[in-house]
Amino acid sequence: MSDEQDATKDLEKGFDVVVLGTGLTETILSGIMSVEGKRVLHIDSNDYYGGEGASLKMSQVFKRFTEGDVKPPPGLDNDRDWNIDLIPKFMMAGGELARILRNFRQVQDNVQFLQVAGSYVYRAASGFFGTMSPAIYKVPSSASEALTSSLVGFNEKRRLKSFLEFVAAYDGESPLYQGMDLEKTTMSTIYEKFSLDKDTQDFVGHAMALYSDKDHQNFYARPTFNKIRLYASSVALYGKSPYIYPLYGLGELPSAFTRLSAVHGGTYMLSTKVLGFEHVDDKVSGVKIRFENPKKDGEYLERVIKTPRVLAAPSYVDEPKKKKRTGQQVVRAICVLEHKVRGADKGSDDNCQIIIPGTQVNRTHDIYIAVLSSAHNVCPKNYWLAIVSTVVETDNPLHELKPGFELLEPIKERFLEKPSYLWEPADDASDNVFVSKSLDASSHFESCTDDVKDLYRRMEGRELDIDGLKVPEQSQD
Amino acid sequence: MSSRKKVMLKNKNSDYKLKVIILGDSGVGKTSLMNQYVNKKFSASYKATIGADFLTKEVLVDDRLVTMQIWDTAGQERFQSLGVAFYRGADCCVLVYDVNNQKSFETLESWRDEFLVQASPRDADSFPFVVIGNKIDVDDGKRQVPQKRAMTFCQANGNLPYFETSAKEAINVEQAFEVIARNALAQEEAEEYTGDFGSSTIVDIGVGSEREGCAC
Repeated sequence: MSDEQDATKDLEKGFDVVVLGTGLTETILSGIMSVEGKRVLHIDSNDYYGGEGASLKMSQVFKRFTEGDVKPPPGLDNDRDWNIDLIPKFMMAGGELARILRNFRQVQDNVQFLQVAGSYVYRAASGFFGTMSPAIYKVPSSASEALTSSLVGFNEKRRLKSFLEFVAAYDGESPLYQGMDLEKTTMSTIYEKFSLDKDTQDFVGHAMALYSDKDHQNFYARPTFNKIRLYASSVALYGKSPYIYPLYGLGELPSAFTRLSAVHGGTYMLSTKVLGFEHVDDKVSGVKIRFENPKKDGEYLERVIKTPRVLAAPSYVDEPKKKKRTGQQVVRAICVLEHKVRGADKGSDDNCQIIIPGTQVNRTHDIYIAVLSSAHNVCPKNYWLAIVSTVVETDNPLHELKPGFELLEPIKERFLEKPSYLWEPADDASDNVFVSKSLDASSHFESCTDDVKDLYRRMEGRELDIDGLKVPEQSQD
Repeated sequence: MSSRKKVMLKNKNSDYKLKVIILGDSGVGKTSLMNQYVNKKFSASYKATIGADFLTKEVLVDDRLVTMQIWDTAGQERFQSLGVAFYRGADCCVLVYDVNNQKSFETLESWRDEFLVQASPRDADSFPFVVIGNKIDVDDGKRQVPQKRAMTFCQANGNLPYFETSAKEAINVEQAFEVIARNALAQEEAEEYTGDFGSSTIVDIGVGSEREGCAC
């Protein structure tokens, strides 16, 4: 066996970059860097890909969330039928992650997407007409849909229509629009201009612009306009909702990017412990790892891998030197249902996102519910998965999710994840150890791709040119 | 499980699309075998990857045109780091060892077990495996695994088809893949179609880029 073929010897040659953790942010970057010809070593301490963005089998979910040796009950016991996300998110069809995927045909060979059938928003009983009982309503995505929506009252429909037409006509670029400076005008001024009532403002800000806190009225108009336009253009791409979601769960995304990296020469090591970093003159020079000898089961090897740069998920670096808490904690609960969610149960359109604006239930932050069915191959027929999440505001996070649970009852199984801290980098990475951010509390990946672009800029010293990523078609020679 | 394939059938000439994956220790000649079969080429220099996820070949099986996608491990087997997605939807699993390397033969069973755990086919007992002993062109004195021993292993594991090949000299490669194609097709036909996307359709994410102008 030549040295090149000997996997362990090959490690000793060192790498252009060592990537720690196989979450989406890390795997996208490792895919891109491998395609660009860099020698990449990618390590995960788990025996599966995806890190906190993995999709788990039901037996893994029981192991993680229940005390003792509890096995899934009949109906839930066939592992091949379940792919359960730890962090539920949907992809905006017109968003940046979709744009990255469009440029990598190879990634498309490894992951397929299905539309999410609906996008809904919750309105409390005390809503516009006091007579309305609390319920979920389909989010209108265009001016014409606004006219037929039962979400808003009769007169409000036309005001909403004018507002949405106004936003749709904006070009997305220039600060000046119809005599207003969108970079200096707040949304509340614009809402006033169109006389939109408070509930409508809420639904626009939360269910279309997808802001998750209550202060969005005070933000400047331009970013909000662009968020609404992204929502509308995403719906326009495939219809029904702005969201798409992978068959077999979100864990398919990082897996597909590891394949992209691997076919371009990336080296992959799961179940590998990171013992520490070595430095020369305050710059990282190597990563010390421990792994099982591929040639001898049960024997563990320790090696220092030479590299001038490291990209790491937060769990691979220490607080407070390399990472700090954002101050936000997210709580999530995975619910298994044996029925479609009421209000989102028309025909086979049984998967959706439901947003409960915080303002509707006297909270600061919104509650998100991702509802998935067997259509996406994440659960068996006649079961539904609903993952409820929000940013923690009190010391009783379970209680905070209650408005979400009420929409889902009866709930067959419920798994409550301990609130987890969100992390961000604590330094400027002058040691060449670059740290990614935790996946945030939002319902989509747009902040994840922002982090990808930011890390790329800091690591490579230039902007990531997404449309320039296209891999030339390989001839099969 | 078959939903993925059902989708791939669209707009293709062939009647069936079959996913074949090749497993075995690194260096046993997995990539060489697929390259010999698909491209009729052999390269003596070791390359861990082929720069693509899979090679495709259209073949006739009993007058039916099938497209075989033969998936490369892309080197992710070197540290036993193939993810579950790689195994998904496979119609046939080829287990390769090097007849001159005892260890590569001994690990066949764990590769088979790994496949069954990760791919979790509905009927593990009937899932088609094909075993290949490669590199028979190397001179006899170096051979470490006698043919008889390999055949005993195949019999004991449910009468698995067994071939001894040389990817370098193109010996028996065609014959082995003929059986692989046939067994993969039988498996594909036996699998019930479970794909039911309701009124939603698979999104072809590759298209839509022209319409991107309307996005922000």
